[in-house]
Amino acid sequence: MPRLRAYSACQDFHHASEAARRDVLTRRQMLKWGIGAGVTVYAANMLSTGSLLDAAAAEAAAAPDAPILVSVFLPGGLDLLDTLMPLEQEGTLRDLRAGVSPASPLALGGTSLGLHPALGRGVGGGLKGLYDRGQIGFLPGIDYANPNLSHFASRAFWETGMVSQQSVSGWLGRWLDRHGSDDNPLQGLSAGYGLSPTLHTAGAPVASISDPGDAELSMWSVWGDWGAAAVKAYASLSQSAPHAAGPASAARAARLAYSVSEQLAPFRRKDDTSPDPLAGTVAYPEDNETADRLKVLAGLIAQPLGIRVATVDADGSFDTHEGQAATLDKDLGAVGEALSAFQADLEARGVADRVLTFVWSEFGRRPEANKSGGTDHGAGGVAWVQGARALGGILNDYPSLTDLDREKNLKVSVDFRRIYSSLLAQWMGTDPAEVIPGAAQFGQVPLVRA
Amino acid sequence: MVGGFSEAHVRRVMWRAGFGASAHEATRWAHEGRGATLRWLLSPNGHKAPLLPGPKPMALDPANEYGHDVLWWMDRMVRTTRPLEEKMTLFWHNHFATRDVDTPLLLRQNAVFRAGALGSFPALLSNVMEDPATGSFLNLIGSYKDEPNENFARELMELFTLGEGDGYTESDVREAARALTGYVEGEKAGGVLLSTRFEPKNHDPGVKRIFGHKGRFGPHDVLRLVVANHHHPELLVRKLWSFFVDEPLDTSTRLRLQHVYTGSGHHLKPVVAEILDHPKLYANLDGPTMVKAPVVAIAGMLRATRLGVKVDDWTWVTSGMGQELFSPPSVAGWEWGPAWMSSNGMRMRFVAANVALNQPGLKVKDGDTPLDLKPQQQLDRAMAALGHPWASARTREGLLALTKGYDAMAGQKWQRQVAADMTQRAMRHLLLSAPDAQVH
Repeated sequence: MPRLRAYSACQDFHHASEAARRDVLTRRQMLKWGIGAGVTVYAANMLSTGSLLDAAAAEAAAAPDAPILVSVFLPGGLDLLDTLMPLEQEGTLRDLRAGVSPASPLALGGTSLGLHPALGRGVGGGLKGLYDRGQIGFLPGIDYANPNLSHFASRAFWETGMVSQQSVSGWLGRWLDRHGSDDNPLQGLSAGYGLSPTLHTAGAPVASISDPGDAELSMWSVWGDWGAAAVKAYASLSQSAPHAAGPASAARAARLAYSVSEQLAPFRRKDDTSPDPLAGTVAYPEDNETADRLKVLAGLIAQPLGIRVATVDADGSFDTHEGQAATLDKDLGAVGEALSAFQADLEARGVADRVLTFVWSEFGRRPEANKSGGTDHGAGGVAWVQGARALGGILNDYPSLTDLDREKNLKVSVDFRRIYSSLLAQWMGTDPAEVIPGAAQFGQVPLVRA
Repeated sequence: MVGGFSEAHVRRVMWRAGFGASAHEATRWAHEGRGATLRWLLSPNGHKAPLLPGPKPMALDPANEYGHDVLWWMDRMVRTTRPLEEKMTLFWHNHFATRDVDTPLLLRQNAVFRAGALGSFPALLSNVMEDPATGSFLNLIGSYKDEPNENFARELMELFTLGEGDGYTESDVREAARALTGYVEGEKAGGVLLSTRFEPKNHDPGVKRIFGHKGRFGPHDVLRLVVANHHHPELLVRKLWSFFVDEPLDTSTRLRLQHVYTGSGHHLKPVVAEILDHPKLYANLDGPTMVKAPVVAIAGMLRATRLGVKVDDWTWVTSGMGQELFSPPSVAGWEWGPAWMSSNGMRMRFVAANVALNQPGLKVKDGDTPLDLKPQQQLDRAMAALGHPWASARTREGLLALTKGYDAMAGQKWQRQVAADMTQRAMRHLLLSAPDAQVH
């Protein structure tokens, strides 16, 4: 419920900041009821109460070094041209975007490209530092042929891994259906408030977690042994399997809420003053919702929970129809700081070799600025892989500013399904054709250091 | 019961078309029958003050205090004497979903939805197009002839009238965006926009081609064209049906509803009347199947228990359940149905029972519960306190079994009072929080 804000452009995927909401609640309320999202578990099949951590531990024990793929979504359509600036074409760019593009990009050695200056902020020189250390590979001009400029449609294509109007599972959900377990929802995690459609599965259980500490079910007016018995009665009332979808979904949600409440107890702070069992040594930026989500994720990845794929929706809006310069400086800068802290944290926890992060947005933006100091929906966006084992550099050709398509948009230089296929084959070690229909036609590009 | 219209029928239609029925309403309308019930829902008498006299809410300042916009609307849902009008206002808030603009604008838009809730769709669409909240959110305000902004044009076709990719092309979106140019900010008071204004010199007066029609179209021509597009009735009929009924919409029913809609000159009330009278709305009367939307669940609970909106916690509780009024996740609105039932949303429904049972009226204080009540008497007492919510036989048996366990735990005499109070508290909580409470 933002008040007295400037009229904003289409904020289709702008999520209300949880931090803003927390600010107005009293400390008492927060302590009393544990405001905020806890754990959301979705599973098509029934899980027996009490089996969750057993399943997780068994899975982790079976494959302690299994690779983990993290997908980070920047909502709204992140602009390529101001994020990774083509310095060779800088004159043309500035003609198209007077006063919009940043004045002093950070030149990337050995290339003719420059990063948005906000990406130099953060631990170890931010994303610029990570690039310099060979831990980021950029994918300029990524998209698909004849891009759909609807946020919803295009985002759905990326989430499902299919350019199709069919309602299907997410591409990482399909991977879990094929290679995941039947009984460990923690194998596919959305860090944050809701489950990403990228993780929608046909059967494999998956979960969303914002903070394990908020997951506890407790009856406020019924305490001690009485309360424990009442919460057990709640669990028992949820042990039913109605036929209709509505009651079945309610019973399942109750069952899993109880199960997770019990089983995530080891990662819960006992009270406000006791230490956070998931705490690490790296300081994350404050007042940064993306960082909060990545911090929880890094903490959970370091536990033997059997996490294989994870998603994070970044906070902020990249749908920069107006005021692009200020928005990118703030929101892109915040994302860069969060991602560089995340990478440092994974290293400090000794799990960086197991984690590859893929950062993406649903489309790019038009080269020519509009009258509001912003840019409209366009083709050819930007994505990147980052991690200790990511192949650093610029991984495909940069689109030309003087050879645009009929809509005056950039020409697409790489199909996102080529990248998905590469991630599945080179990082997860599985056949991309199981997940991406017609994977062979898209081919692959090297993304992972040998 | 008149003409096969039982209290169960009344409870079903009052939940689906509103926010539940009290015991008194269930008896009264079952007695008066189906026709009278539907007439009352569809055409309530012209009350000047459509709110029940009590329970009065806490002091609210919806335009200025954080979260009070949500509480203000929930109070209307709780106390309205026109439940269907309020439910349809929620339908339009989801259909023409708007967020991230000043709260006074959203409150004004809410009044537009309420006034047009069951009237003519073209009239409502026109009011929405000229509404400053919509115009701000979807960049219609300031869309200028030389640089038309496509945002409103695209959502108009994709979400408001036709459906994604149904009956229009990218070219139609661009041409409609040209025809929709010319809106600017209108009057302001205290920095808050009160209206939009059409400025002819900002409008593109040229010839546009939309859905194969050519003309020097302006904004209202675009609305006329999308409503006349033969893909429009299906979108609206499907969306209305699934708002009220979770059974599949069969083709013959759909065609009939589309016929009613177009035949009435695109009026909403005749279509909604058909849906509320449809046998499928009354399917599975002994075991409800439709998931309550978060605000419907809470408003219904506050209505049935006569608690009213007395605390501001309902703002964050409903938000945690996944539905923050005046802040839908996107212009596409919320995802309804089983999608509400994430385990996190379910945990917040558990918390909602905590909040409700902490308030005078529902709170069981130490010593409140008579000693030596039989388990069934305990359950009857809890049901009465909560306004007789639906609970399956299985749930009722589970609650009775809990009582026996508590009796066994209460060894000493002083603990019998504790056991009696705890039983009452736990029963009330479970009746509000268990899976049965989440469906209507």
